[in-house]
Amino acid sequence: MRNLIAFFIRHHVFFVFFLLEIIAVGMLIQSHYYQASRFASSSSAWSGQMLEGYNNSTEYFSLKEINQLLAEENARLKTMRTSTKSDSIVFTNNQYQYISAKVIKNSYNKRNNYLSLNKGSLHGLENGMGVCTQQGVVGIIRDVSEHYATVMSILNKNTVISTRFSKSNHFGELHWDGKSADFAQLQSIEKYVQISVGDSLVTNSYSSIFPEGIPIGTINRFERESTENFYSIEVDLSVDYRNIDFVYVIKDMLKEERKTLEKNQIE
Amino acid sequence: MNKTLTHIIRFFSLVAFQVFFLNNVQISGYLNPYVYILFIMLLPPKLPKAMVLILGFGMGLTMDIFADSYGIHTAATVLLAYIRPNILALVSIKGGEDLEAISIKQLRFGRFFTYTGLLCLIHHFTLFYLEAFRLNEFIDTFGRAFFSTIISLSLILLMESLRSNKNKR
Repeated sequence: MRNLIAFFIRHHVFFVFFLLEIIAVGMLIQSHYYQASRFASSSSAWSGQMLEGYNNSTEYFSLKEINQLLAEENARLKTMRTSTKSDSIVFTNNQYQYISAKVIKNSYNKRNNYLSLNKGSLHGLENGMGVCTQQGVVGIIRDVSEHYATVMSILNKNTVISTRFSKSNHFGELHWDGKSADFAQLQSIEKYVQISVGDSLVTNSYSSIFPEGIPIGTINRFERESTENFYSIEVDLSVDYRNIDFVYVIKDMLKEERKTLEKNQIE
Repeated sequence: MNKTLTHIIRFFSLVAFQVFFLNNVQISGYLNPYVYILFIMLLPPKLPKAMVLILGFGMGLTMDIFADSYGIHTAATVLLAYIRPNILALVSIKGGEDLEAISIKQLRFGRFFTYTGLLCLIHHFTLFYLEAFRLNEFIDTFGRAFFSTIISLSLILLMESLRSNKNKR
């Protein structure tokens, strides 16, 4: 017993190292599971407050741009209100509730990028909700605390967004290869589908994260290799990740209903 | 000035510089310099090794919280803190026991460059490969890690030479 204790004391540096590394790698592995990533994220109260304070102090410099964006958005909403009066539109507006939030932290140059928002569970945000701007899809909510939330953007290796062509119903999965903040890669579009540069991509309604038809991007270039069954397509993302100030979080009011229905079917 | 206080001030100023400035700077697309590791590099050589490890853990965790990177900074910085005595042994005769503090003035530029360079390489390569976490991006990640190391190292050497010049006067 004494020998054992002496052994531990002699090698205590290694054991401390080993323990700390296990904690760190544990955090990393845990982060790959969707629900369990509450520990150590910028949505925690104190770091969120610091980031928000910093953002408030620098926000002043981009006021002009924000004003312009808001004016454009206003104009768009006005035209939408006057041009649509059919019942189906009213229904979709009731199904999806839009919650506006401010981006207090943003990154786009890492392999895995996250944004932080200044709204949290108190404002109705939950894990797994979609986030977009008026230009298009930004990402999916990953972590929520009372006042803050973090968003896993499209620019993240763990994000997969289900998408379809706006002119046909062929659908595929959007991934990001980590190279440029402007382009993402579209997979699993079979070769017989007719596509051309400039075709636009929108969200589909297969998952309950995004409503149907939110823009994602346009095809920038594509390749047909004879050995593969699928195209390799590069998508020019419609959102400019270098410049995001305000976003909308999309809350699907009928999500629970849809989930229970789909679950019953499996059983 | 009190030595402990110097290190505490260095901790907070490096965190602020990293989080509010460097994390928001875009250098040619996808390079990320990380200079916060200078805090661990400059800790006194006589500090107990376990203490260095714990400080490395604290520094890495702080970075992870602000960057939403879930453990990769912690893992890389703890490894850096563990390797530090070995690298220190490479550049000094008695494994750093003879040094009062680590600085350009104490080690001379060549040895200081080797010391910070090696630690920076180890830290950045661990960090970028943990972040990518898959081998089919091996070459991309290699380039990112390598060029980020160069930028971080230049910043670290610049900051350190400014500091030693100021002390001389």
